[in-house]
Amino acid sequence: MAVGRRDGRAGQDVLRRAGEASVLILISLAGGPKHGYALIQDIKELAGIQLGPGTLYGALDRLERLGLIEPLPAEDRRHPYRITAPGAAALRAHLDAVERVSAAGRLRLQLGGS
Amino acid sequence: MDESRAARLVQAVLRCYPARWRRRHGHEAAELAALLIRDGTPAGSIARSYLAGAVREWLTPRPGRRLSAVACALLAAACLLGVSGGLLASAGPARAAGTSQAHPRAHCRPGSPDPAPAPGRPQVIVRVAGHGRSC
Repeated sequence: MAVGRRDGRAGQDVLRRAGEASVLILISLAGGPKHGYALIQDIKELAGIQLGPGTLYGALDRLERLGLIEPLPAEDRRHPYRITAPGAAALRAHLDAVERVSAAGRLRLQLGGS
Repeated sequence: MDESRAARLVQAVLRCYPARWRRRHGHEAAELAALLIRDGTPAGSIARSYLAGAVREWLTPRPGRRLSAVACALLAAACLLGVSGGLLASAGPARAAGTSQAHPRAHCRPGSPDPAPAPGRPQVIVRVAGHGRSC
């Protein structure tokens, strides 16, 4: 995977280009396994963003292909998903990267007097 | 938009996904749409989201599947036409009052007895790649 090579540390932040929906889904699944409707509801409460169902399924398929989430046995028609160990590691790395950028931005705002 | 009309619109858009996707997510996707509509999400917005997802699904390269650019473009155009038609058909009766309705049964999918359209409403059917499939 080519993501995360800009700073010379390959594989550090595989979620850098995965899109906001993928990150939000991983954050939601970090709190426990969920199916599609529960994910949409949780993300709405968590971030105030309502994911479209088409976006949701696209992101779930992508995350599954990357091995960051895995499906659990179906409950009736619903397919719950859970985050995998590589998924948790990728989310941690991504949140660390976002925090570093956020801290740098706040520092610059202070120094610049804005 | 009433519930059955919304469900038909969503079902039409879900048929735009590849069969593999429909086998895996189709039932759950329809149920999810019904739940979102029940919660107050507009059916049109759900259909648009699924439509965009269907286009992405076809355009995303998969191992063992080769789809020419022309086929992709035709499919996307057919899906867009189908949903636009669905949205137009579900618009208010006032808009449809002046439209004519020419032989609606002649274009029905073979073997599927579609109900006759409501009076004063146009029926829009898109035939995809000669299979006579509504989309």
